[in-house]
Amino acid sequence: MRFLLINHVQNAQQSLRSSRIRSTLTMLGVTIGISSITAILALSGGANKIVGDQIDSLGGNIAVIRPGGTIDPLSNITKNQSNHDYATSTLTEADVTTVKSVPNVQMVAPLMVLSGTIRGDSTAPSGSQIVATTPSLADISNLNMREGQFLDNALKKDSVVIGNQLSINLFGTEASTGRILKLRGDDFTVVGVLKRQNNPYNYNSVDFDNAAIVSFAAGKGLNQNITQIQQINIRTDSVSNLDPTVESIQKAVSVNHKGENDFSVLTGNKISQPTSQLFVTIAGGSTAIAAISLLVGGIGIMNIMLVTVAERTREIGIRKALGASNADITWQFLIESLAISVSGGITGYIFGYIVAFTISSFLTFDPVINWQIAAVALTISLIMGTIFGLYPATRAASKDPVESLYQYN
Amino acid sequence: MSDTKTPPVIKLRNLKKRFGIGDAEHFAINGIDLTIRRGEFIAIMGPSGCGKTTMMNILGLLDRSFDGDYELDGKPVKGMTRRKQARIRSQQIGFVFQSFNLIPRLNLLENVALPLIYKGITKTKRLEIASNMLRNFHLNEREYYMPHQLSGGQVQRVAIARALVNEPSIILADEPTGNLDSRASHIIMEELSNLHKRGNTIIMVTHNPRLTTYASRVITMLDGQIETDNNLAANPPSRRGRKKDSTKTKGKKK
Repeated sequence: MRFLLINHVQNAQQSLRSSRIRSTLTMLGVTIGISSITAILALSGGANKIVGDQIDSLGGNIAVIRPGGTIDPLSNITKNQSNHDYATSTLTEADVTTVKSVPNVQMVAPLMVLSGTIRGDSTAPSGSQIVATTPSLADISNLNMREGQFLDNALKKDSVVIGNQLSINLFGTEASTGRILKLRGDDFTVVGVLKRQNNPYNYNSVDFDNAAIVSFAAGKGLNQNITQIQQINIRTDSVSNLDPTVESIQKAVSVNHKGENDFSVLTGNKISQPTSQLFVTIAGGSTAIAAISLLVGGIGIMNIMLVTVAERTREIGIRKALGASNADITWQFLIESLAISVSGGITGYIFGYIVAFTISSFLTFDPVINWQIAAVALTISLIMGTIFGLYPATRAASKDPVESLYQYN
Repeated sequence: MSDTKTPPVIKLRNLKKRFGIGDAEHFAINGIDLTIRRGEFIAIMGPSGCGKTTMMNILGLLDRSFDGDYELDGKPVKGMTRRKQARIRSQQIGFVFQSFNLIPRLNLLENVALPLIYKGITKTKRLEIASNMLRNFHLNEREYYMPHQLSGGQVQRVAIARALVNEPSIILADEPTGNLDSRASHIIMEELSNLHKRGNTIIMVTHNPRLTTYASRVITMLDGQIETDNNLAANPPSRRGRKKDSTKTKGKKK
């Protein structure tokens, strides 16, 4: 009996080949659904991986405080990431001071992201950001210099470190140390240019290639003396101290906030989650498309299978007369619908990666290729083939052999 | 060839088949008692609508809903599961139909190999057996033809090859020559006759009285009952042409 399965597969191939256009069109629904799922998973996997890799490469002793309470994964999908331009942060300078005083905290770097015109020889494109921070950021976030130096406390307030790409955009060269640029109209002297990071999606939510980094005090000066801290990066003195330190930070900052849970201290993978929210939004949309096309595709499969069963009523009668049991007939048609859905799934998987790699050529990271995505694609197609093929198959099997045999078509 | 010593293959007792309910109720088969022994070649004759095909379907285990008793190889058919019946169809019964009933999208070889699928034989082995079978019918050069590329007589020979490929003990032929001209009919009848000589049990329904000369026993049916039953082999009609009235059990339901 074990040969029967192979035979059903051969039979399904044969019957699908005999109505090629019909099978291809039926497969299309599944193909579109699976390819969007594959593309989503591959891209969001790639985005998560790149941020995760950064955090890993920084060592396991980084924690981050962000405004807003801890978000659960579900609202993560539905809520948009708050834009830096409009967000009112709940983090204050007092919090930074508090965190600094927590034992085992080695370095603290607040991030204050401002928007505003950056002008050198020419004006920088609108994506460029002004970041106000403390000298520790270079160590915590592994920012290396191409030339010049990073901010330090001895420098004058009007010093700025700029990203590699920003330097090119402003002055047409990577070597711009000593040049003068205008941030929101104020003059700043370039003291250093960062090495190219090629890493616009990171846990700081800042593309340092396109950023002008000024001291925290200067940033405050640019912003009418109001602090707007989007994120506080913290490094503890050792990996084993991270968890207890996070707890004491949580307690200390909570006192500042009068017990209000309007901030969150994040470590490890949780840091990378909001960064990939751009993809979460895209993924939400594509998941909806995928779900709809899978449903429609599944109904298409069922429809075509019902037609096939009706067309082949006579064949069912013949097969039963020749010794096929009801189970044989059920399997025959079930495997045929599985063949449609699985080949649609495989095509969709390949097509999904083509889409993912095409999209990623505009992005700075590659889609991930792993067995989990393949397994998801295969499982979904198998489930679809079974769900939507079962009813036509049982209908085929329950046909009366005598009536089927004498049906003329 | 058939005599009373050989064991009965098929035993029917008071077989009835009812269609419709209430006012529309009528019996397509109305009380048939029949014993068929191994190696008989039975021709069933009768006008249209006398229940021949219905009886073939019951004999072939395609029709499960009947009244009365049907014993196949000494085992009552009624208690069997569908799966068991399917296995018997696969291993013991070969069907030949009036309309040939080859699967149009399969080539001849695959059509002949079809019954072997349900016996669980591997593909290469299946095709090998089917190929040998087609050679017996001198169709081996057309193995890869599609059914529509052959003449009716050739298609019916393929259908017989398919019926034989499982080496069944009983062959049920429902008007095998009904769609053929007389020349093709005689070729088909020769094939069936050869099978009979090799010891197969053949039950054939036919409209054509001339074909009954091939049979060892001729049964005529009328209105769902057996009208005459002539065993030509055991008792030639010249010596003992006894007419046997069918048992009458009118409209009695079980």
